[in-house]
Amino acid sequence: MLNSLFSSTTIPVLEQVVNFSQARHQVLAGNIANLDTPGYRTRDLSPDVFSAQLKKVLADQQRASSLPGPGASASGSSGWTQARLSEVSQGLETLVRHDEVNVGVEQQVTELAKNQMQHNLALSIMTSQFRLLQAAVSERA
Amino acid sequence: MISALDISTSALVAQRTRLTAIANNIANVSTTRNEQGEIEAYQPRHVIFQTDERTSGSLGAAGVQVSSVEIEDVEPRWRYQPGHVDANDEGWVAYPAVDLMTEFTDALEATRAYEANVGVIEVTKDLAQQTLRILA
Repeated sequence: MLNSLFSSTTIPVLEQVVNFSQARHQVLAGNIANLDTPGYRTRDLSPDVFSAQLKKVLADQQRASSLPGPGASASGSSGWTQARLSEVSQGLETLVRHDEVNVGVEQQVTELAKNQMQHNLALSIMTSQFRLLQAAVSERA
Repeated sequence: MISALDISTSALVAQRTRLTAIANNIANVSTTRNEQGEIEAYQPRHVIFQTDERTSGSLGAAGVQVSSVEIEDVEPRWRYQPGHVDANDEGWVAYPAVDLMTEFTDALEATRAYEANVGVIEVTKDLAQQTLRILA
């Protein structure tokens, strides 16, 4: 029941965005920690690949939920959503790439700041959605 | 999330070790004797870094560690001081081959790298704090 409650909002998607930006933050922190390590190649998780995969999963999900009748999809699609979204998080493991070029500290710090903003944006939206649910549950205007 | 803190901390420790070695070199810029009191010019120390996969997170992020502290084997700077107690038979004194310009540049680099990692720690703390705000 809670699953269908949450899947009516964008909370599961936002959760994946937060997970991704936390994982990427770790990798970027590792790059800055190894600023003076000889032979170190910068590592990164590609946000483009992540958003492409997320977009694909959401499109698949939307197509599937429009096919069956409204009564049947209510219980079926929520479990399916969970499965599809966990595929995105498994996909993260293979997204690590080892760049040939070593980028400087400026670029890393910029990426870090961008990542931080994306993370905090997703959390702000998530918080306001939780507040909406709270208002609905407690029957407050 | 927490392992990002460990990664940044490993860099703080490594850069501080490097700064200690630099301070050591600068402090001994005119040392003409070794620990035993024998006449031997001080040899500058250098810290070597290496990627540390043990402090790593799951997704390929890695910390840094001090792999070794190398003692340089360089020809000392010879100065002609016949009256010096440590002068050799020809009147030359061996002074350490510490280049102050290089040491200060290295110190500056280590300081900036340290600051960069403190900055990352601040961002990590902010991310964790924002995440906890969901509970509030």
